Amino acid sequence: MAISMTAPAATGAGPVTLARQEQRFAVALLAPALLLLLLTTTIPLVYLAWNSLQRIDLGMPWLSGFAGLGNYAKMGSDPRFWSSLWLTAVYTASTVALQVVIGLSLALLVLQIPKGQGVLRIAAILPIVLAPVVVGLFWRTLVLAPDFGLVDLVTRSAGLASHNWLGDPQLALISVIAIHTWQWTPFAFLVMLATLATLPPDVYEAARLDRARPWQRFVYITLPLIRPAIVMVVIMRTMTALSAFAAIFAATGGGPGSSTEILNLYAYRTSFSELNVGYGASLAMVLMGITLAVSWLMFRLRKAR
Amino acid sequence: MKRHPVRHALLWLMAGLLLAVWAFPVLWALLTSFKSERDVLAYPPVWRFAPTLDNYREVLFGGSSILPNLWSSLVVSFSTTLLTMLFAVPAAYALARLNYPGKRASGFYVLATQMLPPMGLIIPYYLVLQKIGGLDSYSGLTAIYLSFSLPFAIWLMVSYFEDIPFEMEEAALLDRAGRMRTLWYIILPQVRGGIAVTTIFVFLNAWNEFLFAVVLGGNKVRPVTVAMFNFISVEQTQWARLAAGAMLAMAPVILIGLFAQRHIVKGLTVGAVKGGGRR
Repeated sequence: MAISMTAPAATGAGPVTLARQEQRFAVALLAPALLLLLLTTTIPLVYLAWNSLQRIDLGMPWLSGFAGLGNYAKMGSDPRFWSSLWLTAVYTASTVALQVVIGLSLALLVLQIPKGQGVLRIAAILPIVLAPVVVGLFWRTLVLAPDFGLVDLVTRSAGLASHNWLGDPQLALISVIAIHTWQWTPFAFLVMLATLATLPPDVYEAARLDRARPWQRFVYITLPLIRPAIVMVVIMRTMTALSAFAAIFAATGGGPGSSTEILNLYAYRTSFSELNVGYGASLAMVLMGITLAVSWLMFRLRKAR
Repeated sequence: MKRHPVRHALLWLMAGLLLAVWAFPVLWALLTSFKSERDVLAYPPVWRFAPTLDNYREVLFGGSSILPNLWSSLVVSFSTTLLTMLFAVPAAYALARLNYPGKRASGFYVLATQMLPPMGLIIPYYLVLQKIGGLDSYSGLTAIYLSFSLPFAIWLMVSYFEDIPFEMEEAALLDRAGRMRTLWYIILPQVRGGIAVTTIFVFLNAWNEFLFAVVLGGNKVRPVTVAMFNFISVEQTQWARLAAGAMLAMAPVILIGLFAQRHIVKGLTVGAVKGGGRR
């Protein structure tokens, strides 16, 4: 009896029952996890959507009630919302671009070192395994603190005076971008390094015989071959950047003022500092819409070529 | 490739520089954790100082001991990891290897849940748990941790299940071994490595989590990531104690990172190339 377990059910009594048996088994294995996902993610999201239509003020509960689309209408004239949207774009675009460019350059560099890649890999693992909140606190104290931080030690000994790296609005934004880039570039680096190591050497051999220049080899051979990995890194890093929280919270708390307050931070502060949970829920809905739209767009782009 | 000594030296210099940039803040924190509060604030910084264990003593057994917080983190991370693996491994097997109606849709659903921003989940959890008195409880925190660990673990495990050849399970099935027995005795042993990597990642992510912990935690359940703020107040920052506390809090993940280095890189790349992975 030659039956393929993997092909869809063929004709005949035996395979049909086997296919049905396989289906039943699949449902038994999958249903508990899907049910749990439904309970822990989807139902809470429905409740989030419902709450985004409410006015919920935990500080003044007597004001709470149905607000319809009021929360969403309020965003139009809320400068802090538009500023947070702009900061989200700046933060996401700059951190993702920096991670990919630095990570890829480093990987190309390190690939040429015959020995000692292991040590570098260990150094690269360190930032990745650290909790973002700890990274934020390290940077806030040891690296960026005025006078005593590492960066100030360098700038002071270079004669560039001390700066309030997290207290000045402009510098604070640059600082949180630097922190994020520091922590997650190793991820891009490791993925690129692993991908580059799997590229077929014979293609490069042929290119060398054709006297292709190094940059031509990079643009016409390497880049197309590692494109899927780059796209994947961009997608994953974009998701992380859009919901970045702990490191910014620890380093600046969104401040000074609201100069590092990306949409994620704004939704948090509105809900849990200002206790305006209804408006916070609608901000979270917008963030979710953006996240899903961006990921959908990127997956489309990934398939496009 | 041509090998020039100068070029090599330059390469090493660059590589060393990047090593320093990534490792130095961590090593600096380690150094700081052994300094007295006076040495910490010395300018220029002192490289030679009398090392002291006072900070660790204070952080472990002093007034603001983080021992209860380490316990909180351990309980939440452990229960999250156990539950996640229990549910994710069978589901991933079904997604990777079995045929059933709605396969694409269920795979897409798992992927979509992985894309959800945590901020969208924390608000409903807070409102519900507040109503039913579930704030500051292990079960509440574990439930919300499942929301990010489950999709992640399922997708990572799918990529490991997809890597094993079909022949063995077909042979076992033709021997009338039964599907459950085949999964348990034939398939699972082949993805042992994948299970180990996934377990490590789920544990790491749960241990490092902060947003859910700070909102849903309280005096009883207060993971160590939240406790780091014990050492920071508006008036002053206790640098050396913060460094010591952070070193203790991060010791488990740093050790896992060092020992499971190869596996972590493989997990990251499997996830990255095939489409799983969140962090």
